[in-house]
Amino acid sequence: MKTYIQMIVVLTLIALISGLALGGLYEMTHELAENNILKFKKIPAVADLYEIANGKLPPAERETIEEGLLIDKRYIELEDNSQALFFIVRKDGEPYAVAIEDYGQGFGGDLGVMVGFVIETGDLVGIGITTMSETPGVGTRVRNKAFTDQFQGASASSVFKVKKDGGVVDAVSGATISSRAVSLATEKARDFYAEHRESILKAIDQPSGDES
Amino acid sequence: MTTLTREFTKGLWDEIPIFRIVLGLCPTLAVTTSLENGLGMGLAATFVLVCSNGLVSALRKLIPADVRVACYIVIIATFVVCVEMIMKAYFFTLSESLGIFIPLIVVNCIILGRAEAFAKKNGVLASLADGLGMGLGFTLALCVLGSIRELLGAGTLGLFFGERVFLAEPFAFLQQAPGAFVTLGLLLGLMNVVGKK
Repeated sequence: MKTYIQMIVVLTLIALISGLALGGLYEMTHELAENNILKFKKIPAVADLYEIANGKLPPAERETIEEGLLIDKRYIELEDNSQALFFIVRKDGEPYAVAIEDYGQGFGGDLGVMVGFVIETGDLVGIGITTMSETPGVGTRVRNKAFTDQFQGASASSVFKVKKDGGVVDAVSGATISSRAVSLATEKARDFYAEHRESILKAIDQPSGDES
Repeated sequence: MTTLTREFTKGLWDEIPIFRIVLGLCPTLAVTTSLENGLGMGLAATFVLVCSNGLVSALRKLIPADVRVACYIVIIATFVVCVEMIMKAYFFTLSESLGIFIPLIVVNCIILGRAEAFAKKNGVLASLADGLGMGLGFTLALCVLGSIRELLGAGTLGLFFGERVFLAEPFAFLQQAPGAFVTLGLLLGLMNVVGKK
């Protein structure tokens, strides 16, 4: 009996201390980690949308645009008092499209997709995959241009589901779950844009750098 | 003191992981496409190995034998998640290129193997020395594999030189998974020839 109690106590204590230590470390590092995701994942995805809208950019110009995007983040207030982040994609210096990120449930957790919408029509500029933990070589193929390019210029009223589910998206063969996640994220972003178009337009008109 | 030195140095040659005890092959084959990846993976595993060896050894009288493996796994997993969070915060590009193989250090046989075979029977200092030696040996092995595969497979050595240093046409085959097996097999053969007296 005594050994049973010892087993339970020791294992519980070890797990408890581990949990507390990890929680503390998470508090210390998650802000830095999120900044990294913003800088290395989300901003490049928006820059890709820039390139779809404006044509291929020279590396130096692309870098300037990425630096600009890091400063020019826009937010809108949501009903539940939280904020939603979006980016402005410019064409010839004028706001041409907005980029909104949304998530779908993939094979290995949330899969983030940055979706660009033409401001006037709500049609898609294109999509870019931001974060994912899909199986390397299988689910990660949704990042390939062959898959993402089919979203370029898609109409706002398209049904963003894989063909198997009655939509218009050509799934990557062998990666249906990942393809579904991308489609769902795209659809969610589309609905989000449709619903919050007014406040997004208002946020675009405000001078840049206003993050509050 | 001599035994401590011995515990440390055995991991570097006599019992060098990969080449001698042939454990932990999954990350070895997967991440050694470049020297930088091999080094990053090796150092991450070394950190986990040293910490887990030390802690397992410190708690060895406290942990009941029946649940020891569960306790080891919790301890190892904790350090692995630490490494993962620190990498995401400070070495983001490296953590991206190592991807899933950082969390997979949890199931790296070398780490659990050293906890079970060494740390649970030996003192803290000896276990730390053992962990450090084994970890650096693992790092060394990954660096050798990574350098060969990067130099001959891609023609570069990104950690030291910006541009291509291997002037002949690189064998892209070495960058693929089968190339990893071939390189490892040849190195294992070489180590056996060198090791046999």
